[in-house]
Formats: sequence, structure tokens, C-alpha cells
Amino acid sequence: MIHLNDSMETINKISWEIRNDIGILTLDNPPENYLFQPDFVPLDTLKKWTSYDYLKGIMICGAGKHFSGGGKLENLFRMIRDREDINEKMGKGKAVLEHIENLDIPVIAAIQGICFGGGLEIALASHIRICAENALFAFPEVNQGVIPGLGGTVRSYMKSGFPRAMKLILSGDMINAEDAQEMHLVDFIVNKHKVFDHSFTFLQKLTRDRPLTVINAVMKALKNARSLSMEEAMKEETRIFCELAVAEARRRNGSGKQ
Amino acid sequence: MKIPAYSTIRLVLDEGIGLLELNSPPSNAMNMEFFREFGEALYFISLCGEFRALIISGHGRHYSSGADVPVLLKEINENAVTDKTGKLLHIPDFLSKNYESFLLLESLSIPVISAIRGVCLGSALELALFSHFRLCGEEAVFGLPEASFNLAPGLGGMYKLCSMSGLAFALERVLKGSTFSAEDALNHGIVDKVVPKKVLIQAAYDFARQVMQDFRVEKRGLYIKKYLS
Repeated sequence: MIHLNDSMETINKISWEIRNDIGILTLDNPPENYLFQPDFVPLDTLKKWTSYDYLKGIMICGAGKHFSGGGKLENLFRMIRDREDINEKMGKGKAVLEHIENLDIPVIAAIQGICFGGGLEIALASHIRICAENALFAFPEVNQGVIPGLGGTVRSYMKSGFPRAMKLILSGDMINAEDAQEMHLVDFIVNKHKVFDHSFTFLQKLTRDRPLTVINAVMKALKNARSLSMEEAMKEETRIFCELAVAEARRRNGSGKQ
Repeated sequence: MKIPAYSTIRLVLDEGIGLLELNSPPSNAMNMEFFREFGEALYFISLCGEFRALIISGHGRHYSSGADVPVLLKEINENAVTDKTGKLLHIPDFLSKNYESFLLLESLSIPVISAIRGVCLGSALELALFSHFRLCGEEAVFGLPEASFNLAPGLGGMYKLCSMSGLAFALERVLKGSTFSAEDALNHGIVDKVVPKKVLIQAAYDFARQVMQDFRVEKRGLYIKKYLS
């Protein structure tokens, strides 16, 4: 099924468009693509965008040379001064990232240039990270006396283990693409001019021969692998397999039996 | 104790080391009878008391090509209980027993070593992933091809692949259904050692003798460092 390009939508300097059956979410505030607030895109908007039933994958990228420099902490401190409920704001930001992480279609972060703070939090909530050889990663929050607050401490710990996550967060230092791959923070490094093409093609190859039911089933099972005990995850995996098997058997028989 | 005879499995015991071979030539496909006998054999091994290590391999050139898909689909369709909308209400008992067998395999207090040559696909890879250690021949070929039949792995393959090699690798391999090499498997933590296929079984026996002396599953990483690197 080929869909013509839907028109682009933009909110809070975040753009969304659909090419074929892949959604592209662009952090669109160049040059550094700073994020305005923890819920960089309102959850309702994101839910609307990601609910098209023909969508098979999503690519998140930054406009121009960089992925994102993250949130402007001054904005955050201003919110605190103005007595806005910062806890509620952060909760909304976390809900946005959880929505991305829990989507049952694959989400790839296509990263070039800087990927700092909130930018790195978004990347870590994606399922696959593909970065340019010139990409740079950091959690600089500690320099301002705070820590990553949208799940970045937990997600980096899960991927890199305690010592390396601790060093990254506590030092606030930048690391390059190679080090990030070594730490399992990125999955693939590609030529700096090819990040978007490569990521988009990767997503298409991953999904083009698969019906959405199979994609959803695989994503659900892999989510269970992260969130359930082994016994529960296995039971669910067998249940998911069985549902697909019943549907496939009936498809092959050309009829339904109930 | 006399070892029972099976039609799809060969099981022998020598100096405390058991060798369980999948034996349905030419590719050792795992049919319904295999899963039934495998469950029985595991039960026997766990109660017999004379096994101090277990090597799992395929008789002949291959480990196994995995489940027989058409037969499996037919059995599931006949035994699954669904409501009018097609929603699954009950998983057929034989499927639940299959994954319980894999859990039993992993919970054995003796070291379980899969020695893999040739193809190791689908349910066969899942079986290997529930072994405590995996040794393979240089030419071994791995894969979870279920998605190319509009299915998904159903016996813990996605769970294991994701926890061993991370989400990206698992997602790519499962959705594409493409095969991967021994080298790839080694680089992503899916096998513990690659050896020339001619010495594979010997290497598995040598390793079994070393590791069975004081086997504790939580020391897995230590044994790999000590004996396999």
C-alpha cells in the first residue's frame, strides 16, 4: 500500500510527516534543535500522529546538522521560579517517552551532530539508534546541578551497566560515536552524510514484507522481554505465537473455523 | 539405570556425560513426536541422578531446522480455543508443555551445553538458547525465520535474543527473519565459542568434563572466561 506524502504538521518546533508507511518526527528548531519543555511534543498530538493504522515504523531525527542539544535548562529553572509544577511537567515528559518506547511498531533514532540531555533521553527511548560517525553524546545536566530526569538514568544503566552509566552521568563529559557504540548506547554507526537515508531504508527493509499484525506481535513480545519476568514473558510469547498461528492456519485453509 | 529408547532422539550416557541428539534425518525437524519425547527424556535425565552434564546436538550434519510449520499450524488450529472474533481463549496444552520443557531444561542443576553445527533455526535456536552454554562449528547458520511465515518465535526465542544481544539485534533478526553466521552469533553474545566443526563434539565433551566439577549456573560467565576464551 503506497500513500502519497501526507502534508507536514508542526507543533512546538516539532514536525511530523509520513512517507509511504514510515512516520518521520523531526526535532525542528535548528541549529541545535533545543527542546522547549520536557513534553517536547504534547502527548495527545503524538498519540494522534502515531495512531495511523497503516504506519509501520517511525524515524526520529533532528533538522540540519544536529539531533538535539536537549532542553534549555534555563527554561526549566524559570518554570521553577514561576512556581509551575515542575514535577507534573517532568511526568508529562516521561509519559511522552514511554509512549514512544511502548509503540508496537519499530522506532529508530537517526542521530548526527550533538545528542545531549533531553535529546539523548529521546534517543534512548527509541528502539534502535543509528548514528553518524561525527555524533556526540552527553548528559550535561550535572553541570547545572541536576540529573537526567526523563528516565535517562535508568535507560542508560540498562544499556551500559552501572559503572559506565555512572561515569557518563556523573562526569557530564561528551563521548563520541565509537565510545557510545562500545557502551551499547548506539547500535550502528554510518557515514555522516547517510544517517537519514540509511535509517529510513533500514526501517523500510525491516517492515516492508511484514503485515502489521506480525510487526505488532514481535514488538509486543520484545516489550514483554524488557518488562516481565522470564516465565511471564515466555507464556505471553507462546500466546502471541498461537494467535498468529491460528490466523495463519485459517488464512492458508482459506476459511475460518470457530 | 536403563536409558529409554526414543524414535526422534538418541540419548547416551558415558562417564556421567549425557549426549542427547536430535535424530530425525536429514535436518532433524522438530515434529510433535520430538517435543513429546524431548519432554520425557528431560524428565528422565532430571530424575535419573547419573547425569552430571548434558550435551545437546543434532545427529548428522545439522543441529535442527526447527519445527515442522505446516504440521504445527494444523495442530494449533485444531486445538486452540477461540471466541467468535478469533480471539484466543486457551493455548493448546502441547504448546504450554513445550515451553515448560525449555524452562525445565534451563533449571537443570547440571550443565547443559548445546553443540551446534549446520543449521539451527526457529525452535531449534530457541532450544539452544535455553541451554546454559553454546558451542558451534564455524559454518553453523542461525536464524529465527518465523516472521517470513507470518508467525513469530513462540518458545522464548524473542525473550532470549533480546536479553542476550539487545533490542536492536533481536528486532532486526526477528522481523527480517534472516539468518546469521557463527561469527555474528559470537559477536552478539549468542554463542560462547566457535570451533572447527570436526572437533565440535570433542570440544563439548572436554568443556563438559571441566565445568561439571563444580557447576553453578550463576558462575556461567566465569566458566566461559576460564575454559572457553
